[in-house]
Amino acid sequence: MKKSTKAAVGTLLVAALFAGVWLAERLAGANSMLVTVLEKGAIYALIAVSMNLLNGFTGLFSLGQAGFMLVGAYTYAIFTIPAARRMAVYQYYQGGIVQFELPCLLAIVLAGVVAAAFAALVGLPVLRLKSDYLAIATLGFAEIIRAVIQYDKLGPLTNGSNLLKTYPTFDTALFPFAVAGVCIAVILMLIHSTYGRACKAIRDDEIAAEAMGINLFRHKLLSFVISSFFAGVGGALLAMYQGTVQANAFKSSMTYEILLIVVIGGMGSVTGSVLASFLFIACSEWWLRFLDVETFIGTVQVPLLRSGFRMVVFSVVIMAVVLFYRRGIMGDREFSLDAIARAFSGKKRKGARAK
Amino acid sequence: MSTVLRVKDVTMQFGGVVAIDNLSMHVDEGEIVALIGPNGAGKTTAFNCITGVYEPTNGEIAFGDCIIARSHPTGKMKKLYAGAHADKYLGARVRLSPDKITRLGIARTFQNIRLFKSQTAFENVLIATHLRRTSNPFTATLHINAAEERRMRERAMEMLETVGLADSAGELATSLPYGQQRRLEIARALATQPKLLLLDEPAAGMNPQETDELGAFIREIKDRFQLTVFMIEHHMNLVMDISDRIYVIDFGRQIAEGAPAEVRDNPAVIAAYLGVDEE
Ligand SMILES: Nc1ncnc2c1ncn2[C@@H]1O[C@H](COP(=O)(O)OP(=O)(O)OP(=O)(O)O)[C@@H](O)[C@H]1O
Ligand SMILES: [Mg+2]
Repeated sequence: MKKSTKAAVGTLLVAALFAGVWLAERLAGANSMLVTVLEKGAIYALIAVSMNLLNGFTGLFSLGQAGFMLVGAYTYAIFTIPAARRMAVYQYYQGGIVQFELPCLLAIVLAGVVAAAFAALVGLPVLRLKSDYLAIATLGFAEIIRAVIQYDKLGPLTNGSNLLKTYPTFDTALFPFAVAGVCIAVILMLIHSTYGRACKAIRDDEIAAEAMGINLFRHKLLSFVISSFFAGVGGALLAMYQGTVQANAFKSSMTYEILLIVVIGGMGSVTGSVLASFLFIACSEWWLRFLDVETFIGTVQVPLLRSGFRMVVFSVVIMAVVLFYRRGIMGDREFSLDAIARAFSGKKRKGARAK
Repeated sequence: MSTVLRVKDVTMQFGGVVAIDNLSMHVDEGEIVALIGPNGAGKTTAFNCITGVYEPTNGEIAFGDCIIARSHPTGKMKKLYAGAHADKYLGARVRLSPDKITRLGIARTFQNIRLFKSQTAFENVLIATHLRRTSNPFTATLHINAAEERRMRERAMEMLETVGLADSAGELATSLPYGQQRRLEIARALATQPKLLLLDEPAAGMNPQETDELGAFIREIKDRFQLTVFMIEHHMNLVMDISDRIYVIDFGRQIAEGAPAEVRDNPAVIAAYLGVDEE
């Protein structure tokens, strides 16, 4: 397919997507399940893609996504609560120490930067060691940061264990779609750059990658920091979606949810992560809700259906995916215009991908 | 003629196993030098020391004027050390990492082929152009480095053409026949723009015809890219045909060195190889 046609079709598709979201919001209403799924799905898509950049494309296993989201969410909330409301929010801390507010978009970027800075702090010592240590270190980081942020002495900054609220949120699903869309596009561009290729080389064979002159430490750190940046941005979006932030919501189970999305979508497939995010959120927020509700048919209670059963079903799904469907929905393939064009024209891919 | 590679008194000991024992070798500019010896003699280990995969237990390795490794036994190894010259290389230790050594100009292939398995032949070579980049993560992500990207792709394609794999550029690297995978590894090594090329059993797994062609091919790339070649190989015809000099090692120790004709008739060499045959 020619580059110009591809660009045109791509632009049309993106426009259609946004029009679709806009229309869905109009028709279904802003508080509908559909809009919830669209909003949360877009946010999770970004976070899953950021995790995939690390786990799927660089072959580094991190379990700290919730920690970096937490950092992003708090950064966003802390710096956007209007000065006039700070007295009420930080009621136990005399209004807190931050007495200014940043514009929303700037605060979202800052959320990413702070998360990235924490990642550098964790990564600098750990990434020189064998890769396995990263999983442990990031898991530890996520647990520690959750506790530290609620530490009373930090209250003037983080409001201790109290809620952060009354910061600006979004009122249309178009907002998370736009932010997540731009971020995912940037990640895709990175993956398709020479640095992305170096990361994939590290994933495939560290010894060979190093023999090709690739500095393992530097590229792993790069991937980890960028991944965490976007997890931080995702955390900021999640804070906006929820309307309030409290550290205890960012448990490791959140990381596992995202890991599940990445695995279901396919390690090393960006489009897979995006599809799986919407699928996962739709199931957990909407389609499978009934599993948690005690249901009676006549006077007979339907067995198994009670609070918590949904998670049991999820766990079974994870195991099924891992056992029988290890490559996920997309494997490491991507959903691209070229692929669709090929499928329609029935042509087999051949020759170099050299452009 | 200047010396490209100098290995001085190198001993590599794994726990109690002395894999390389007080080995000294040198390779001069423009030479094709072979390193031969029975299985388990320590040939690959020598390459791993030169390329920075292992840190020698003792000794010094220099590439041109640059010392890339220099060390002496420390810690637990002090007691365990069974090699020579334990006091000769005291002082500051030097250990360049494999990626730095490649950037200095030593490229290698692997005995147990290590291609990037999820990538095409073309992408495998393309990755090897990354080390000479001038872009940073920002310019590369924003695709501001279009000129560089084009150069990388052209160079990768040129290397594929050099090894005769241009037609397989889009194939998954690991789906290629064995002999072609070996040549792809050579293309990948060449793409790093080396001065010294280390080949670890390049003919292993090749059919007789491919092996015959390999000798001429190595000479050809040597001349075209002004390389110096250091090669581990078991195919004696190939070794005798293209080498300027040969090092023979057994049990990590050098047992002979010289021109092909000298080495072939050396009793120690014959004994080492016959010894293996009798096993
Ligand atoms: N990482 C290691 N740890 C322990 N022992 C090792 C290690 N690497 C190599 N050795 C030992 O060093 C010796 C030399 O191995 P090496 O692979 O260098 O032999 P080689 O000459 O390349 O043999 P071949 O012709 O079979 O490739 C062997 O006895 C091997 O077991
Ligand atoms: Mg070997």
